Order: sequence, then structure tokens, then C-alpha cells
Amino acid sequence: MEVKKDILWRVSLCFLGIVALSLFIIGKAFYIQQVQGEYWKSMSDSLHLSYRTLDADRGTIYSEDGSMLSTSIPFFDIHIDFMADGLREKEGKRFTTNLDSLSIGLSKLFQDQSAAAYKKQLQAGYKKKDRYYLLKKKVSFDQYQALRTLPLVRQGRNKSGFIVEDMEKRLTPFGLLANRTIGLARTYVDNNRQVVTQNVGLEKTYDSLLKGVSGKRLVRRISGGAYVPVEGSEIEPENGKDIVTTLDVNIQDITQTALMRMMTDNQALEGTAIVMEVATGKIKAIANLGLMPDGSYFEKDNYALKTSEPGSTIKLVTLMSVLEDKYVTLNDMIDIDGGVWMLNGRRIQDAEKSPKSHLTIKESFEHSSNVAMAKLAYTYYSKSPAKFVQHYENLHLTSRTGVDLKEEFRPMVKNPKRKDWHMQTLPSMGFGYEVMLSPLQILMIYNAVANNGKLMKPYLVNKVEKDGNVLTAFEPQVLNEKICAEQTLHQLQECLAAVCVDGTAKRVFKTAVYHAAGKTGTAKVNDGNFKYTDGVYQSSFAGYFPVEKPKYSCIVVIKNKPRSAQYLGGSVAAPVFREIADKLYAGDIEDMPVYIAKTATDSIKYKWSGYSSDTKNILKEMNIPFIDSAAKEEWGYVYNDNNTPGIKALAVNENQVPDVKGMGLKDALFLLENMNLKVQVKGKGKIINQSLAAGQTIGKGQTIMLELD
Amino acid sequence: MSLNKPEISRGIDGLLLWLYILLCCIGIVSIFAATYREGDDIVKTFLSFKTDYSKQSIFFLISIVAGTAVLLTDSKFFTATANLWYAFGILLLLLVFPFHSNVKGTKSIIKFGNALQLQPIQLCIVFANLALAKYLSRVETDFTKTRSQLVAAAIVIAPAILAIAQSETGLALVYFSFFLVMFREGLPAIILIIGFSFAILVVATLLVDPDILALILTGIAGLAIYIMRRQIKRYKSVLFGILGIWIVCVGIQRFAVPLIFDHVLEPYQVKRIYDTLGKDYIPKDAAAAADIAKNTETKKDDGDYNVKQSKIAIGSGGLTGKGLLKGTQTRYSFVPEQRTDFIFCTIGEGFGFVGSMIFLSIYIALLFRIVTIAERQRSTFSRCYAYGVASVLFFHIAINLCMTMGLAPVIGIPLPFVSYGGLSLVTFSMMIFILLRLDKDRQMVLR
Repeated sequence: MEVKKDILWRVSLCFLGIVALSLFIIGKAFYIQQVQGEYWKSMSDSLHLSYRTLDADRGTIYSEDGSMLSTSIPFFDIHIDFMADGLREKEGKRFTTNLDSLSIGLSKLFQDQSAAAYKKQLQAGYKKKDRYYLLKKKVSFDQYQALRTLPLVRQGRNKSGFIVEDMEKRLTPFGLLANRTIGLARTYVDNNRQVVTQNVGLEKTYDSLLKGVSGKRLVRRISGGAYVPVEGSEIEPENGKDIVTTLDVNIQDITQTALMRMMTDNQALEGTAIVMEVATGKIKAIANLGLMPDGSYFEKDNYALKTSEPGSTIKLVTLMSVLEDKYVTLNDMIDIDGGVWMLNGRRIQDAEKSPKSHLTIKESFEHSSNVAMAKLAYTYYSKSPAKFVQHYENLHLTSRTGVDLKEEFRPMVKNPKRKDWHMQTLPSMGFGYEVMLSPLQILMIYNAVANNGKLMKPYLVNKVEKDGNVLTAFEPQVLNEKICAEQTLHQLQECLAAVCVDGTAKRVFKTAVYHAAGKTGTAKVNDGNFKYTDGVYQSSFAGYFPVEKPKYSCIVVIKNKPRSAQYLGGSVAAPVFREIADKLYAGDIEDMPVYIAKTATDSIKYKWSGYSSDTKNILKEMNIPFIDSAAKEEWGYVYNDNNTPGIKALAVNENQVPDVKGMGLKDALFLLENMNLKVQVKGKGKIINQSLAAGQTIGKGQTIMLELD
Repeated sequence: MSLNKPEISRGIDGLLLWLYILLCCIGIVSIFAATYREGDDIVKTFLSFKTDYSKQSIFFLISIVAGTAVLLTDSKFFTATANLWYAFGILLLLLVFPFHSNVKGTKSIIKFGNALQLQPIQLCIVFANLALAKYLSRVETDFTKTRSQLVAAAIVIAPAILAIAQSETGLALVYFSFFLVMFREGLPAIILIIGFSFAILVVATLLVDPDILALILTGIAGLAIYIMRRQIKRYKSVLFGILGIWIVCVGIQRFAVPLIFDHVLEPYQVKRIYDTLGKDYIPKDAAAAADIAKNTETKKDDGDYNVKQSKIAIGSGGLTGKGLLKGTQTRYSFVPEQRTDFIFCTIGEGFGFVGSMIFLSIYIALLFRIVTIAERQRSTFSRCYAYGVASVLFFHIAINLCMTMGLAPVIGIPLPFVSYGGLSLVTFSMMIFILLRLDKDRQMVLR
């Protein structure tokens, strides 16, 4: 009986246990499914399907020679959600236990702050309960990889609160070079946490091509937190296309450097310089510099596209008009009234006082006489101003150039039929006021003159490529086959060349080894910020070179600081043009015509000259008997004396170009550079020609071209 | 009771058999629901033997065939060979050490080619059950004696120790369910009480700060001394008893538990226990952290994550469920291991609370049927064996369901008859069929 009772309670205890546990399980199941059901259900629905955007890679912008001007690299912005469940639970135990090791890790990884500083930073964020605390911006991919292994961070987003946003950073390997023109593709999160994309320049114009098409993919979350794509739902992203520009990195560098130098020296406010290829209208360089509050210069705005009153550079149009309409010839005389002309109560004054009271039309252009130009316009067009404006239209100056940049300003050329046309308009237009044109437009006209009257549309993009295949190629576009008659054109070219020889740019180009043509301009600025009376001048120079076979046209426009000591186009803008032209001429020497001062051909078959003691040493070494007539002269040359070499002294006089023919380059360089000559070299071997004739007086800073063979 | 013309159906407990078949079928359907993908040709995949549900069906058929063979044997065969089987099982377990294959997280599997794999520790449950029944049913065994109790304990603990050595802590725990059998056969209740107290103490150690727990224990001891002050006056030994228990308890919480957690259990297992208790486990050193990282390479291995996903699946089932093949959580592999250890999710999500209750009641019916069968046996061997089956099944079901719902640590224990796994199905089937065979001869006294 005892045994039976014992067994019975044991068995019933087992039963009880089973029942209790079963009830427990049922209870838990009920709790999960009924009480918490909604919670788990909501988690299930939100968890497993979502659309993912597949970002397309943004295209790259190349220069004409294939250098990357703007390309994309990935980077990461790291934020922390200090209110993350995992971080806050148990009174922030996870945060406090990992804080020290994390701080040390961060400090080691980024090496920008001490561990203590990081700790303080994290604690502050934690205290503030910041949900989107910015820890670090623009973290590279490598750093991001390392970051993920740090304590706390490796516990995942939910536990650590670390939010990683991958971004694309636009990188311009050449920095400031043509920065504004290439443009920006900035994506940033603004104060309202909206993603803002800001584009300018080519990045903006060709944004639709560069950005590509982002794809979409329906993903399903599976265990392990991984997302698997739902088959067939995927729309592949189409990567952006690449843009090959017409820009040339070297020319851009030269242009920018030259502009920067002048701007800095002159503390100018803003400036632009554009270099265009004459035959095609390709923009090879475009530099824009603006003064920043801290005194540095930055590609702040695309001044090349901003319109302003151009000043004297537009006199080319006035001259073209009167010549084309055959009102005058270049040799007609014009009375400039001593540089001041009162017209209907308005005083028109020349910027630089001209040497004579009566000038030929050509001279008035050379010396940039405002009075002359105002008079020309007023005299010949006041009866039919529309005819004058028609010339502007022929030159496509009344509309935008259509260059591949969206920021281009609309030019303003007044219409005689409109109310704003008044008595002063015509004379003002004659010398560059009451008309608003951008530097690029002026350059376009000068380029047309250089290009034998063919007006080319300026452009910046050669082709659009995708994976190296050309999708679209852009050809040079002619806007006007012939802007004026051939005869007029020659006269204009003659005048422009004369400016650089006898006119306002005479001093600048005196020592140039090539011939340039162009026109200076000095305009009083009256824009939103400055009035005419503020003494702010816009100096400009537009022109082309070499005159004989124009390759590049270039315009430099610099807005000076108020009452700047230097403000004339000839002394501010023209030197920049000169520097650009010098370097381009030297760099492109193979394509450029070389002007060598003609010398009588040598009767002797050979001629070696150089440092005489070297020559003697060589002859002695080689056991060749020679006749020494050089005595102790430093320089000598070898001549043929009845088949025996003779050494004669070479005349080297101070301030006179020596005869370096027959010398090696080493000796010639030594000799010439010691005389403060700049040397440019073409070819290799022994010098056979020199651009400055022997015996000529050396000018300061003159350049000598040597031809070697 | 011997028959001239043995009919295998005669004397067979139909209810148990049908419950078993029902559970196996639920298992196959659940695996089907969990792994079937839209567009698959159902008939084709069922016959391909490549899909999990197809394989499970095959193993079910194998089990039925093997079971029939078991039913055709003589019931004395089991009593006679029980020890032999046990020896064979232990041998297999020992063979595992040199021959185990490289399967992640365990050293308990021997592979034959690519398709077949054997986990002796699962198989050994049947053998241990037989051996224990055999030992307890021996005439010369007097289970009131400590020596016999120790031998019986040794029979079940030996494979468990080998299992722990093979990194199969979960399955090792199954062997402890045999203590229920011993309890039924007269194991002093004090041992179970001590066992439970130990378990509570361990859990308390993990949950409560060690110093505070020591204070609490001291307080309890003090209270006990105060209450028993009269007995203490009479018998000094009571005081020493209480002090002894106090010392042991504090010793366990101070030294034994940390020792076990640091040196016996793998860090990832410790983490799972902590996860279940809702505590954060901070790895002691870099090696421990590395072990956890290694074992939670994917989130699939993270017990915490599993349970959460499993809860989402069960919870989103609601009252009546989403319907077969309609569950999103289980259909798209949110729940890891859901065809094996987490198969209950499929049922929970697909059929909701109602379905889960029906499913559970089938299990409870099965367990009660087995206990009923056990109590009607004349022979101790059959009874002990039946209790063994009940205990093992109960342990599996309880732990598995608790595991699925976040009540127990994730220790990888399958749901009998339902979870995917050929060997597990065959093992449990054999247990049932041996039971059916023994029950057929319930009027006999087997020795």
C-alpha cells in the first residue's frame, strides 16, 4: 500500500509537471500571438519588402587631352543615433562599457583628436540624446572598413546607433583649374535634412548625361539581416556618361597662373581670361578669379559669362561698321577735339590723351580714342541707328553665344525702336557703353576676325562618351561664314596688329618674339555695386596671335579695385595676354611659324664656335694641329685655313647680341642668358640660326629664338 | 503470450500509432510549407528526393518499414540485447572522436559520403533508454540503495559526458530527462529537489549581482537558523547542516558557476543562456569574443536574432494564422533553421493560435497515451522504457517550444517527429515502435 501511494504521488507529480509546463507553453504562445500579436505582425510587415535605389555612378569630365577634370569617389558620413534602443537599454550600459575602447579606437583610426576628446564628444552627444549626431564626415572607404571593426560599432546599427551614409564625392584632381566652368556637383544635407544637389558649370549643363539613371530594386529581407533582390523586379542603374571637354589642362594652367599673378599684384576684384582656338571656336581655357574676403582668389563665379559694359574692345565693331558700310577709310582724318567732345551737354573724354589733335581712323583706333569712335557712330548712324545695331546682330551679339554653360547672361544691345534708346546711346555704344556683353562674346568677335571672318560658336564639349565609346561628337559650328567683306577684314586685322605695335599695347608686346593683334579696353564700371564715379575700372584686352597664322584668340578682363594705381587695359589686361601668349607660343612652337632674322648664308661649310679653351683642349687631345689666332679670348670659332683648323676670337660685346651660330646649346645658353636674354630653342644639334641678328643691341627682357640642326 | 500466427496488428495500441503517424505527416507538411518555393512542381519535387520534404517523406517510409520489422521481432529480443545495444552506442560515441567530420559548431557527426550523416548521440538515446530499463528491471536491482542509484545515473550520464565532449551540450541535457524515470522508480525526491535548487541557484547567479546574492543566501540561512532555533538547541547537527548548505550554495554561486561558464561551456553557449535571461554577456577576453564572433558570423547563428524572428513569425500568425504557404516570415527564410529546430514557427505563423493549440494537444495526447501505456505494463522493463520515451519526448517538446518562444536558451533540440532530420525521425520512430512492440506483450513479464 505504501509503495502504491508512493508511486501514485510520483506519477501525479510528473503529470502535474507536464500539465504545468504545457499550460506555461500555451500561455506563452497565447501571449505572443494574441497580446503581442499586433507588435510582431507590424514588425513582420515592415521588415521584409522594400524598394532600394541603385545609384548610378556619375560620369567623369575629361580635358581634351584625357586628364580627369572631375570624377567621383565614394565616401561616407558617419552619424550616431544616441537614442538607439541597444545603446540606451539598461541605462546605457552598452554605451558606458564601450565608451573608452571606442574613443581610443576612433582616435587611432582618424588621428585627428585625442581619445579623451572623442570621449567627451560622445558623452556630450549621448547626454543631448542626439538622434543624428555627426561624428565624422567624408570618411574614406578604407577608414570606413576599419571603423566597422571598432568596439560597439561592430555590434551593428541597432545596438551601436552608428548610421553610415554613403555619399559620392566629386573630386577635381586639378583643384581650382577651371573649377567654375567644370562646375560643382555637390550633394549635401541641409538644415532641414533635405538632400540638396547643387550643380553649376558643365556639371549642371550635362547633369542629365553625367548622373545617369538610377535603378530600382525590390528587396526582400531574409534572415541574417541580408536583403535579397526579388527576381525580375530589378531595374539596373545606367551609369553616367563621360564628358570630354575642349579644355586643355596645360593651357588652363598657364591662363590661370597668368591671371592670378596680375590679380594678386593689382589686388583686383575679379577677373577672367579665356583662350579660344581660332579655327574651331573650342574654348581651351577659361579662368575666373574673384577676390575672397580673406584676400585670396577663388573661382567664385563665371565672370566670362557675365555681361558688363565692355568699353574699348567693342570699338572693333564700330570700326567694322563704318568700314563695311564704306563711310570712311583707314586713312581718313578725324578731329578728336583734343580728347574731349561735348555732345548735347555730355562730355566724352579719351582715357589716354592722344599725341595729336587730328588722327587717322587707324590711329584713333590704335590709341583708343573715345571721341573718335563716338563721333564715327554718331556721325554716320544717327539717322539710321538700326543699321548700326544690325551689325551687332550679324555678329550674333544680340543673343547668347550658346556655349555649353547654363549660367550665360543674356547680352543687352539696345533697340532704336524702344524707349530706352536716347540721344546718347549711339555715341556711347560707339566706344563701348550702353551695351552689355560678356567677355566670351567679345572674344567670339575677335576670334572671327582672326579666323578670316568666319564666326565660330564657342564650345566646351568635344564629345560624350560611355565606356570609351563616343556617343555624341560635337563639331565646330559656324555662326556666320563671313562677318564682313574681305577688304574690311584685312583693315581690321591691320588695325588690331597696329595696336600692339604702335598703339595702346605697344609697350607690352615690344619684346615679344611673335606678332600679336588685339585691342585694349578700359571701361568705368557701373554695376550694382559701383557707380561710374567710384573709380572702378574694368581693364580688358582681346586679341589673337600669331598675326600671320592666328592659332589662339584670347581675352582678359579684369575688374580693378577702386582707384587702383594700374587700371588701363594696356597695363593690366594686356600683360596677362602677353604672358599667356608667350607660353602658348613656346609650348606650341612646332605648330607656330618661326620668325628668324634673316642673315647671309655662311660661305664656309662648317663652323664650330664656343668656349675657346674647350675647343683647344679637344683639338690637343685629338692630336690635331691647329692655328691659334684666338690668343686669350674667351670665345672663339674654328675656321678652315687650308685644311688646317684655325681658331679665331669671337667678338662678344656687352649689350650686343653675339653670333652664336655654330655653337652647341650649352655654350649658347651660358652666353645668352648671361646677357639677360630669354632663350627659346627649336630643334637639336648645333645652332644654325638665331632670331636676333648678331650685333643688335639687346633690349631688356628680350627673347631670342635659336634654331638648332 | 505467444501466437501461432503472429498478426502484427494484434495488440498494437492504435491511438499511439495514429498520433505518431499524424505528427509525422504534420512534420512533412510543415517542412513543405517552410521550404516550398513558388513555381516548383509539387509532385516532381516530392519524388525528386532532393527537397527537404521529399527526403523527410523517404525517412518516414524508412521508419515505417523499420518499425514493422521491430514489430515482427520478439519482445524478449530487447531485454536480451539492451546492454549490447548500449555498448554498441557507447562504442559509436567513442568512434566519433577519431572519425568526426568537419561540421561547424559540433564534433558529433560522422559522415558517409555526402548524403548520409550519423550523429550517434541521437541514436544513443534509444540505447540508453533500453539499458536503463534493463538495469532497473533486474531482479537484483534494489533501487532504494544508493549504489544502484549511482549505477543508473552512470548509465545515462556517461553518454551525456561524451556528448558534452563533442560540443553537443543541448543533446547532453536530454539524457538528464531520464532522471524522471528514476524518480518514478523510486529515486529519492531530495535528489530532484537538490537538482532544482541547483538550477534555480545557477539562474539566480546569472541574474543577480554575486555580492547581493551572497547576502540573500546568508539572509536565508540566518532565517532558517532563527526558525529552527529550537531544533538547533536539541541537535547541534541541524546548525551544521544549515551552515553546510549555506557554504555549498555560496560556493556554487561564487566559484562553481563561474567555473562552469568559463571553462566548460563555450562562450557562444554562455551568450545564448544570457540572451534567454535577457542579460548582456560581456566576453571575458579576446578569445571568448572571437568564439562568439565565430559562432555568430551570420546573424543566423545569433540566438537572440533567431528568437526574435521566431517570435515575429509566431506572433504574426494571430488567432487563426495566415494559412498554409502564406506565411511571409517562414516562407522567406527569415527564421533560421526553421525546417529543423524552429519548425514550430511555420505552424504558428500558418495556423495561428488555434493551430498551435491543436498541434500542442496532439503532443500532450501522445505523452499521456505513452504514460498510460507505461502504467499498464506488467513488466518493469517495459514500464521504465515507456517512461523513458515519455521523458525524452517531453523534454524535447518542452525545450524546443520554449526555445522557439524565447523561454529557453537556443540549444538546438529538435521537435520530435516534426523537425526535419532523417536520423532524428528514425530514432524517435524506433522509440515509438519498440514501445508498441513491448506494449503488445504488456501481459508478459519481461526480464
